[in-house]
Amino acid sequence: MKRHLVLLALTFLCINTVNAQDDLLNELEDEAKTKDITYEQPAFKAMKIGNLQSTKVAAKGELYMYVSHRFGALNDGFDTFFGLDNANTKIQMVYGIFNGVQIGMARESIRKTYSSHIKAKFMSQSKDFPVNIVGYATVNIRTDIKEDKYPLLQFADRMSYATQLLVSRRLNNKFSLELAPTFVRQNLVLEPFQKHNQIALGVGGRYKISKRMSINADYVYNFSRHEDSIYNDPLTIGLDIETGGHVFQLLFSNAQSTNEPGFISNAEGDWFGKVFFGFNIVRVF
Amino acid sequence: MKKIFILIMFFCSILVSAQKYYTKTGVTEFKASVEAFESVEAKNKSTTAILNTNTGEFAALLFIKSFHFDIALMQEHFNENYMDSDQFSKATFKGEIAAFNLDELTKSDKNFTLKGILTVRGISKEVETIVRLKRIGSKIVLDSEFNVSPQDFNIEIPSIVRKKIAESIHLTLSYELVEKI
Repeated sequence: MKRHLVLLALTFLCINTVNAQDDLLNELEDEAKTKDITYEQPAFKAMKIGNLQSTKVAAKGELYMYVSHRFGALNDGFDTFFGLDNANTKIQMVYGIFNGVQIGMARESIRKTYSSHIKAKFMSQSKDFPVNIVGYATVNIRTDIKEDKYPLLQFADRMSYATQLLVSRRLNNKFSLELAPTFVRQNLVLEPFQKHNQIALGVGGRYKISKRMSINADYVYNFSRHEDSIYNDPLTIGLDIETGGHVFQLLFSNAQSTNEPGFISNAEGDWFGKVFFGFNIVRVF
Repeated sequence: MKKIFILIMFFCSILVSAQKYYTKTGVTEFKASVEAFESVEAKNKSTTAILNTNTGEFAALLFIKSFHFDIALMQEHFNENYMDSDQFSKATFKGEIAAFNLDELTKSDKNFTLKGILTVRGISKEVETIVRLKRIGSKIVLDSEFNVSPQDFNIEIPSIVRKKIAESIHLTLSYELVEKI
């Protein structure tokens, strides 16, 4: 009789397990446990947080045009109409050559600088990996200094470089943070006592205030800055407004240059006096 | 006595266990393109779907993030701005194919009425459409299409892009179901 009871129990168990799967949708939920890696959504919408590069890299075949403007210092007042007369303009084209690798060319007015860069994504944030890791390297050539004024000038003196490792994490839907250890090389320093090789650390973040708007801020601390330097560490605070294929970034910064060797080494303003208003406009093709 | 028990057990399992056909690689596409603007369309190739061939009950499930767009930026905006994919990761359908009979299926398409509830972004809406079913070898091939509108699922479309996104979104389903053992 005992054995029969066991069999009876087994029968019921059998019925139960089959019954439990009666709801087709529940059955699908079990099936659909996805095995492929699902990447987190990107930490930043634009390629720059404000001045600092973000971990966004153009997708393969995407062409971006950046127009960046930094007006002159606001505290110049009516003399320059709050900086309108002394604007620094940068035009940049960025193209995704492979998946996760972009190249770009740019020209900015300040120090008549030509620049090119390469940016590559090494890791993306997913359930299995906590951060995005991106490498960035840029070469700048300033063409404002003339040989008739400086006879000993060599071409190499016009060059400056910046290399950055960008590590970001989308902490939640609204808040993303980034750290950017940076190495800057200035072949020509603007102050004779300043070191040519400079180590810096950038910090940036964004906070979304609505689906298409976010407050962004970034700051770079330059460890190699000489104590007598007139230049400051750049702090940039901005507002991102995204509309379809465009991103508008309105910002205030104490640096007028938008290139890394420019704003990390030579931010000429300070937040208690000389602040620059500016914007970046991004258009994707 | 023992034999009877085994017999009962056997019968019970047969009675309760239903015959099911399913897929994990169903293709679900949508098109929201407007002529003269960039095409807005995406494909999901990992839709899971299941059909109970005894009752005609049908269910499908897909992950919003698995929709693939040709333009990466569009995909990013789709997930982040329109679908809130972090919050609502999947869309589901649960319904019934009316007057379904496995024996009626042949190599050529036969139309059936599919009625059920589509749930997107946590909002459920009743959907009724025609499905075409045919049997190829051991597979059941299901094809269907229907339209939904973004408003039905509270998907906000900002005025600046309203002209570029169709008011009615056309969905195409193509599932090849195999018997589930």
